[in-house]
Amino acid sequence: MPDIKLVPPHPAGTRPTSPASGEVNKIRVLSVLVEDGQNTLTKVSGVLRRRGFHVRGISIGPSRQPGRSRITLQIDHGHAEADQVRKQLERLVEVIEVEDLTGDDVHSRELVVATVAASELNGLLERGAKVLSTGPGGTTVEFSGERQEVGDFVDELTRHGIVDVVRSGPVVMRRTA
Amino acid sequence: MVLEALEREGVEYIFGYPGGANLPLYQHLPEHPRLKHILVRHEQGAAHMADGYARARGKPGVVFATSGPGALNLVTGLCTAYMDSVPMIAITGQVNSTQVGRDAFQESDVIGATSSVTKHSYLVTRIDQLPRVIHEAFHIATTGRPGPVLIDICKDVQQAEANRVVPDYVEIPGYKLNGHVNLDQAREAARALAGAERPVILAGHGVLLSHAERELMQLAEAAAAPVGTTLLGIGAFPVKHPLSLHMTGFMGTGWCLKAVQNADVLMMVGMRVDDRVTAKLSEFAPNVKTFIHVDIDEAEMGKNVRSHIELVADARLALEAMLPHLGKVDAGRAEWLGQIDRWREEHPLRYKQSNGRLQPQDVLIDMYRRARSEAIVVADVGQNQIWAALWWNYDRPGLFINSGGSGTMGFALPAALGAKFGRPDLPVWCVAGEGGFVMTAQELSVAVEHQLDVKIVLLNNFSLGMVRQFQDDFYGGIRSQVDLTHMPDFVKLCEAYGLPALRVEKFEDIAPSFDAAERTKGPFLIDFRIDPEANVYPIVPLGKGLNEFREAPEYA
Ligand SMILES: Cc1ncc(C[n+]2csc(CCOP(=O)(O)OP(=O)(O)O)c2C)c(N)n1
Ligand SMILES: [Mg+2]
Repeated sequence: MPDIKLVPPHPAGTRPTSPASGEVNKIRVLSVLVEDGQNTLTKVSGVLRRRGFHVRGISIGPSRQPGRSRITLQIDHGHAEADQVRKQLERLVEVIEVEDLTGDDVHSRELVVATVAASELNGLLERGAKVLSTGPGGTTVEFSGERQEVGDFVDELTRHGIVDVVRSGPVVMRRTA
Repeated sequence: MVLEALEREGVEYIFGYPGGANLPLYQHLPEHPRLKHILVRHEQGAAHMADGYARARGKPGVVFATSGPGALNLVTGLCTAYMDSVPMIAITGQVNSTQVGRDAFQESDVIGATSSVTKHSYLVTRIDQLPRVIHEAFHIATTGRPGPVLIDICKDVQQAEANRVVPDYVEIPGYKLNGHVNLDQAREAARALAGAERPVILAGHGVLLSHAERELMQLAEAAAAPVGTTLLGIGAFPVKHPLSLHMTGFMGTGWCLKAVQNADVLMMVGMRVDDRVTAKLSEFAPNVKTFIHVDIDEAEMGKNVRSHIELVADARLALEAMLPHLGKVDAGRAEWLGQIDRWREEHPLRYKQSNGRLQPQDVLIDMYRRARSEAIVVADVGQNQIWAALWWNYDRPGLFINSGGSGTMGFALPAALGAKFGRPDLPVWCVAGEGGFVMTAQELSVAVEHQLDVKIVLLNNFSLGMVRQFQDDFYGGIRSQVDLTHMPDFVKLCEAYGLPALRVEKFEDIAPSFDAAERTKGPFLIDFRIDPEANVYPIVPLGKGLNEFREAPEYA
């Protein structure tokens, strides 16, 4: 039995603010285990849209269980109560479980692949980038890290003349104790 | 295969309409005489009929429609059922599985179009999915918080033969049922309620859905806590009970609103706490120190009001669990109940009785005198709906049916017919405004074809009355596009459809017209030409707090 929720995330007695107000720039991460199916993505995105939740980043990949995938969602907390997102998603029959992975005790990784014109790559390699290929059109590198690190890396890329860049959504896992 | 599965689920009636993409189902329908098919005149009518059937009968209503336009005509009906948590199974035909996604004739993305108004939906492209899907659909539609489930079946699947492996159990990992009660929370809630100085209980549709009326009564009496109901919760608590506050919300009774606004503990059971109940959210129940919310749907917790005690559970089990823990009731209770009695006297429901025009309340009072507590009343949407809700002392559950969450005009007639199919043993009265009535009036054919004993009480005020009242009171008095003087002669319309009807313009003719209706077997309509200026009171102006309810001006 869970404890009595006398101190819920939103102070009791208050009325949640409208989606448009509230704090911005607070990102929450939800890990959503779903049943694979034709409608799953539509249903999940339908709930996010309908309830006014703003998605910053999303990634999807197979989970350890056959027939199920894991969706990692970064949502703007300021656009609605993260708690409501979880509950609304859990109402979907396609959704097996939703876990809130916001906080410090997680590994959060994002991948970036970029082609730069410059052949001088020290600044990138120092950060840990790996060269995938080189050619007359430029050099293609990959880099992975936390959201902020990836952002910094992309800033650094501009100094090397970006030809092309793609970023994955986040993948997040709880740290083992 | 589909039809056999429906028989196995105990389906009695199918409300439907055929077309290209569900012809295989109709081809085999005559082989299943146990499935009685009602041919409607518009698919929206089918959905509302199934809805009325489900609410009256307590079993899921079943609907058939073809692909494309047929399926899309269901959307309003699905939404109506979804908002009010009514179990329904909609089976729509889809183009052949090989054609899906190619914009074939009458193809439409039914799943996409309905996913926000269904509890769940399936697209069936292979025959081996079918037995499981149908079984699951019934399970999902009827358990937990009920709702409509749509099954979109490709035409080739309807035709396919298969060996029937029917699962006799369902296992749906992602389907979470919250039935059990957290006993610690139940105890906490009971103590808060009993220890309150000024408690109020509000009961919603969930109380009726979980059959918790008895437990609600026991709890209210043991805790000496007054009970109001939402529009959809009407019948959950007898209106004549000394603890009754009648209806809450922005058109609720004055004494109920006063009680809510002054309460220190507010327990909300089986309800969504929507804006029609709270009015201006920031001014809702401002003196409450402890909110208690009981609902089977976890997502309702904190959606509009964040409660101190949240009980995610079936209403009956939750109330039952609270009962033994009430303990001693606060000593200030007599004073509180006395205060409520004074409010009841200061703010009674009133209407203008003698301006020479027919008053809707007079019509309803006579109707209810006949209906007593043994008839189902199905109301449409608008002023007629609120009059029908307020002007009767409902003392039993399940007797009042209306579209609360969606407020769908045109609901009443088909829903009343569905209710009659579901409960042929009970008299059924349909109360509607003329605006809503003509939205689905084509279903009169169904009433006549099946000689359904449904009495239609048309409260004809020659206008979109509720909108007219809002315009008069809250939109600068500008009457814009609400005039319905150009309407059919309803007596002649009924004649054309083949049912008897009367027109009533005077108070003295109310009783004789009802006598005539009651003497007549089969459908009957009375066109009551009511005072076009009659209004609904009390009413809270849009955007204001519940405190600011307005009463009938001639009494204010
Ligand atoms: C399908 C639909 N369209 C519009 C509305 C908005 N609406 C709410 S009440 C109302 C007026 C209803 O008029 P009528 O059926 O004559 O009933 P009255 O209020 O006059 O009793 C309207 C237009 C609605 N609820 N449903
Ligand atoms: Mg009208």
